[in-house]
Amino acid sequence: MKAQFRAELLKQRSTRTGLGLFAGMLGLVLLVVLLHGFGLAAEGLEGSSDQLMVLGRGEFLAVLFAALLGALSVTNEIRHGTIRPTFLVSPWRGRVVAAKVWASALIGAGFGLAACALAAGVGTAALRLRGIDVELDGGDYALLLAGGTAAAALWAAIGVGLGAIVRDQVPTLIGICAWLLFVEGLLVGDVAGVAENVGRFAPGALGQALSGQDPDTLLAPALGAPLLALYATAAAAAGWIATTRRGVA
Amino acid sequence: MTATRPTFGPVNDGRVQDEPQSGRAVADDSIVSVQGLSKRFGELVAVDGLTFSLEPGSVTGFLGPNGAGKTTTLRLLLGLAEPTTGEALVFGRHYRELDEPTRRVGAVLESNDFHPGRSGRDHLRILALAAEIPPSRIDEVLDLVELEGVAARRVKTYSLGMRQRLGLAGALLGDPELLVLDEPANGLDPAGVHWLRIFLRGFADSGGTVLISSHVLAEVAQTVDGVLIIDRGRLVASARLDELAGRGQTLEDAYLALTVRGAS
Repeated sequence: MKAQFRAELLKQRSTRTGLGLFAGMLGLVLLVVLLHGFGLAAEGLEGSSDQLMVLGRGEFLAVLFAALLGALSVTNEIRHGTIRPTFLVSPWRGRVVAAKVWASALIGAGFGLAACALAAGVGTAALRLRGIDVELDGGDYALLLAGGTAAAALWAAIGVGLGAIVRDQVPTLIGICAWLLFVEGLLVGDVAGVAENVGRFAPGALGQALSGQDPDTLLAPALGAPLLALYATAAAAAGWIATTRRGVA
Repeated sequence: MTATRPTFGPVNDGRVQDEPQSGRAVADDSIVSVQGLSKRFGELVAVDGLTFSLEPGSVTGFLGPNGAGKTTTLRLLLGLAEPTTGEALVFGRHYRELDEPTRRVGAVLESNDFHPGRSGRDHLRILALAAEIPPSRIDEVLDLVELEGVAARRVKTYSLGMRQRLGLAGALLGDPELLVLDEPANGLDPAGVHWLRIFLRGFADSGGTVLISSHVLAEVAQTVDGVLIIDRGRLVASARLDELAGRGQTLEDAYLALTVRGAS
């Protein structure tokens, strides 16, 4: 397992995919936080919840890109055929999936930390430049960073699981984007009763809950963390089963 | 490309290569033992009751037309798919039960199983890490397949012949006893085919065993000691080349008589 883990880390480092995702994520974080920080009306940015929403865009994008990274660690191997040499060298497929989960979670955590730190730094600077009082304290910032890091790590594991179940690259990536960018938005949207009963238990909303965002609608971080970990475990286990049961073309 | 005679040194970590493995008793001393092997995909019977075995130190051609079931058989042998019935063993075990598969079996199933954006050397480093093979072996296999000069380049810049040799380098990392190659000469130019032929001969002469599939007879005719011919999933002939010669038959006669549909 340790050998497979080290091999997975080298797979991630030896192409430009991971670096490209990382750069794309940071660029989007910068764009979104600057747009919100400078574009929104000042009265919409005065409450701590509003400010957390702007700074939380880092967590949101980190989750998306970490999930894509995790999924790509499986679907790229299937797309390029490297899954064959991978399984010839390590015919214990469960170990390979586990190594992918841990390696992606580790890199996903790095994505989460970097995106949240950038969003917090740029967002706070934007508020100060506009003369808006920053209502967040050290605890809020700590939760933003720790929660965002954990959420991205867990979502990377979910991505690995989804990639191993779906296997085809394009449907996997489109599915992840559609879910996080569209479906989750509907679930915590304005339809009566949906957010309270369904939306806040969805995995994307749990990721936001982890970093302390929107406490009126979302669950407390202490409840969101184990629930999101449960999603990650279930996705990884399903990916593990799918990979060990099915043949390799 | 120069046709140097390859050498096959042991992996430099002091391990004994041919130490018998503990655990399940080995049924026989065949390197490959396939018994009543069948694989169905829905209605399609890809492999149908195949039985054969391979002895050490030989190069065996696994011949048959496109779609005869060669690749499926190799996938079953290497644990990438599960047989419907029967079994395929390497060194008396299922591939997945081998303690260190890369030190027993080296296999190349496709000529292009690489990430195009990764360098040839990184591709080998990944396999060596996963198989716990010392990094010094990477330079040895790169030297063996004559790719040391281009190892730092990304695979997308490689010619087909270079990719074939990089695949072979990966298969040789563990200094295996058995090489399983699926259509390794596909797309090679004449010099590449010549290089491969000399390479495989050297591997077998130093005690290795080779199973090489092909649908192009001419590619293997000069390299193999014996052939297994399959058609529509069934074994239709198994013979040593010298036996065929003794019967006054060329390999081509035998192959065409057995596999050309509608032949008289």
